[in-house]
Amino acid sequence: MSDPVTTSFDLECRNVRKNFAAFTAVNDVSFQIPQGSFFSILGPSGCGKTTLLRMLAGFQQPDAGDILIKGRSVLDTPPNKRPVNMVFQHLALFPNMTVAENVAYGLRRRKAPRHEIETAVKDMLARVGLPDSGGKRIDQLSGGQKQRIAIARCLVLRPDVLLLDEPLGALDLKLREQMKVELKHLQEKFGTTFVYITHDQSEALVMSDHIAVMNKGRFEQVGTPQELYYQPDTAFVASFVGDSNCWRGTLVSRDSEGAAIRTASGLQFRVEGALENLQQGQEAQVYLRPEAVKIELASASSHGDAGAGRGGENCFSGVVDAVLFDGARSQVQVSLDHSSESISVALPQTPMFHNIGKGQRVLLSWAAGQCSCFPV
Amino acid sequence: MKPQHFKFGLALLLTPILLWLTLLIALPHVDMAMISLRERVSAGTYAFSWSNYTAFFTEPLYWRTFMRTAVMSIMATALTLLIAFPISFYIAKVARGRLRPLLFLLCLVPFWVSELVRTYGWMILLRETGVLSSLLQWLGWVDGPVEMLYQDATIMVGLVYTSMLFMVVPLVSTLDSLDDSLIEAAYDLGASHWRVMRDVVIPHAAPGIVSGCIVVFMLTLGNYLTPTLLGGKDSLWFTEQIYTQFITRFNWEQGSAFGILLLILSSLIVWIGLRLSRQSFTKVMS
Repeated sequence: MSDPVTTSFDLECRNVRKNFAAFTAVNDVSFQIPQGSFFSILGPSGCGKTTLLRMLAGFQQPDAGDILIKGRSVLDTPPNKRPVNMVFQHLALFPNMTVAENVAYGLRRRKAPRHEIETAVKDMLARVGLPDSGGKRIDQLSGGQKQRIAIARCLVLRPDVLLLDEPLGALDLKLREQMKVELKHLQEKFGTTFVYITHDQSEALVMSDHIAVMNKGRFEQVGTPQELYYQPDTAFVASFVGDSNCWRGTLVSRDSEGAAIRTASGLQFRVEGALENLQQGQEAQVYLRPEAVKIELASASSHGDAGAGRGGENCFSGVVDAVLFDGARSQVQVSLDHSSESISVALPQTPMFHNIGKGQRVLLSWAAGQCSCFPV
Repeated sequence: MKPQHFKFGLALLLTPILLWLTLLIALPHVDMAMISLRERVSAGTYAFSWSNYTAFFTEPLYWRTFMRTAVMSIMATALTLLIAFPISFYIAKVARGRLRPLLFLLCLVPFWVSELVRTYGWMILLRETGVLSSLLQWLGWVDGPVEMLYQDATIMVGLVYTSMLFMVVPLVSTLDSLDDSLIEAAYDLGASHWRVMRDVVIPHAAPGIVSGCIVVFMLTLGNYLTPTLLGGKDSLWFTEQIYTQFITRFNWEQGSAFGILLLILSSLIVWIGLRLSRQSFTKVMS
């Protein structure tokens, strides 16, 4: 069964399914992870990603399907014999052992010679940047150091695949940002395939080569971070990855290039792009990124001509409702003039917007191709 | 609140326990120590003497009875631990949902009846004309009635049965606090089931194991009812010696000396146990 094509993948799942009583946690999931890549599974809590990871580690058996590591099925291999290791959510470092003993634990269980273990542990501690902490107790380490030891404890065994179960969840924001970069560096340095599960889209986007977005036990889309962000396949991906304005509307007319959508509150605008699944009169869900909207200041008197579809461009005027200042991620909420819709717009970091406040009149515009539409 | 008020409140709260400790524990022991250190010279006159203590070490019966009691108590403790550990592990780590409290309740139920009734229960089962003996005869496995009472093994069964709960409770509570992912992590890193037990579960449960063992050992060593009823007159339990001195012989001096010696020697054994298992008393009892 190990045909030469599959062997270039470190990990492969074929139609994996897992039920808990009547509840299907993982539903017919298939994917392949090429050697040495950073693969993330992104999804809200309860989407089945932890169950999937535990099946990869061997703590749970799939009800159907097959899991292959380097082209060989591992369904009959118990966790302590599988060539995969797992970094647990709360790291699960052994509190009754020193740092060096923790790192050496797996090698000891393999009955490696003592001097070999010593050099391997020393080398690994140096590579994760903690060469002098071998004799320390676990509770003497900081959060970030524990993280690195937990990863070192697995990588010292040279697993084919390293599984990571939201290990950054317990860290504070600053450290999390720092560890994201560090994890990516570690992965590149060791060249090990990482499978990382998280509900934090920023973690997934920053670190991954490929991301699978999971929802209700299924993979909604697998792709590079850019593909997920710019070309979401489904409404769930569009709403889950990144911020979006979301409208529900009816397709009122269509032509060769695009279509016009009208929301219940009367906002009408033009969309272009992949609209194959949409018919005239059908309801659609439309997503627009806040940073895809161009914003200009307008004088108090000017009323921009609200209209859709001048050369594929949607132009609207409105009044600033609220400024949500968050440094580089600042947004303004604008209520549009001719409808009750409100829209979030990313604030450009140019001086003319520094003093923008509530009540400021603005002109908004976005290209018709920037919207993603999905049938309801 | 003023500090004086606070002190008064604290004193008030501590009064019951302090009264309990001084009146029921400290005073009797001081009195017992004093009685044990005197010798009756003639009617109503007493003199200071170590003779009650030297009697313990020179009279082989006393000394051997104590050693036998200690060894059997240690064995009963070890047996209880061996039986209680898998049960506790199952309750704390394997059982889910409503099964957990149900199993715990099953361990507790025997303690709703008094120890006396429980022990008579064992006697009904094990005596010559008892349930087990009749069953064996009915099955044709034995020719005549079998006496299963009045043997060391019977005492052991009774002691282990009586002690089980006191081992299960501390074990369940320490095992409960063990993070499942530590077990999984060890397993994931290549440890066998046995190694996971040795490297992760037992080190974590050590304080519970030791505190359970201390409680069970002390209860067993000081037990009177079970060895007397199940072991008969050959049971030779040290508490029976104390009883004999106080009640039968009316030799309070000797009985007090035995009481003090039991206290000292059992404390010594517990101390040695703590030393061997490298646990501290404060950690185990917290």
